[in-house]
Amino acid sequence: MTGRDHSKAKLSKGILEMKFMKRTKEKVEKQQFQEEGEEYFENLLTTRMKSEKDKFIIEPSFTYCEKLIDGRLSFQGMNPDIERLMEIENESKRVMLEKKKETDISDEQMARHISRGVNPLSRHRKEKKYIRRVQVEDEEPIPKKPKFLKPVD
Amino acid sequence: MEVTVGDVAMPGDIIKDISTHNTKDKIILGPGLRRDGEVIVASKAGVLRKGQSATYYIDSYQKRYIPNRGENVVGIVTQKVGDIFKVDIAASEQAGLSYMAFEGASKRNRPDVQVGDVVFAKLLVASKDMEPELVCVDSLGKKGKLGVLSSDGMLFTCSFSLVRKILNPECPLFKMLGKEQAYDLAVGMNGRVWIKARSVHETIAVANAILAAEYTALSEMNSLCNRIAKMLLQQR
Repeated sequence: MTGRDHSKAKLSKGILEMKFMKRTKEKVEKQQFQEEGEEYFENLLTTRMKSEKDKFIIEPSFTYCEKLIDGRLSFQGMNPDIERLMEIENESKRVMLEKKKETDISDEQMARHISRGVNPLSRHRKEKKYIRRVQVEDEEPIPKKPKFLKPVD
Repeated sequence: MEVTVGDVAMPGDIIKDISTHNTKDKIILGPGLRRDGEVIVASKAGVLRKGQSATYYIDSYQKRYIPNRGENVVGIVTQKVGDIFKVDIAASEQAGLSYMAFEGASKRNRPDVQVGDVVFAKLLVASKDMEPELVCVDSLGKKGKLGVLSSDGMLFTCSFSLVRKILNPECPLFKMLGKEQAYDLAVGMNGRVWIKARSVHETIAVANAILAAEYTALSEMNSLCNRIAKMLLQQR
């Protein structure tokens, strides 16, 4: 009972050990590690540290700063395993690029539009209303389909 | 002294742009930069550069490898100590590589790794107070591109600026060489390069091409590859 009240139901250790739960296990462990760390160091944090907590990220590796590629390559069938992996990578990169091209409104444009305070739906709705009103004025209301009348015998 | 992007920075110089950067997005401080409260100070000598989004780093020339978490390195197994292999990764200290950190390894089924083997591994732990730790699997237990490299290749070292140049996504060297020449290659962020081609001649030619790339502009890479290919044809 108390365990349930505490938070959402946790996955048992036995289940997490199973082979197909590897991804979930990784996620759960990461979260737990984060929580434990926060609890442990909470009293060591000064107010100044809390106020300026996440303006900077320290990244000591060039790999991320310059977006370097993996340094394991093979050409013309010297190492078929590596070449297969390279092909899969290229394919996924191409798919990503194509997806970006497909959308004619970029994510940034969309974000700008929404942040300007224009509800993208509201205009659409107004237009619809307008069209309906025009229709009403222009032509006679479409007569309702007459109810089925029972034949009199 | 205060410096801005594109200037040469010396250790101790204050980076001006970042302190006045008042956007809400996070600023990434790359290698060569340190934070002292609100002030960002350079800790290496080199050119201050700005990458994508708010990424700042110092582009410096360096030969001593300092391990960083998540980097791929080429190392040489030097010792078997109980459950771990000691691997020389050209850093100040040897790195540990557990025998369980290979694909499909278990207590009973040990991986076949000998002293003297060359491995391509990822740094899992790299902190200034601890021994670096390597792995040859990803978090899902797959080996991917990591693992032991075959013993009939050649290993040589180069500067980090060359490694960064040839691993840049814009650098056409490997693709161009790949059109002319069959080869298998592993480049570690620790400045070690392992290559294997069909013959000794070809292996040396590829190695020379990579070393020559250090002082070759990206636009001249094509002629460099052609020259290497021509040279190989003459020798045949």
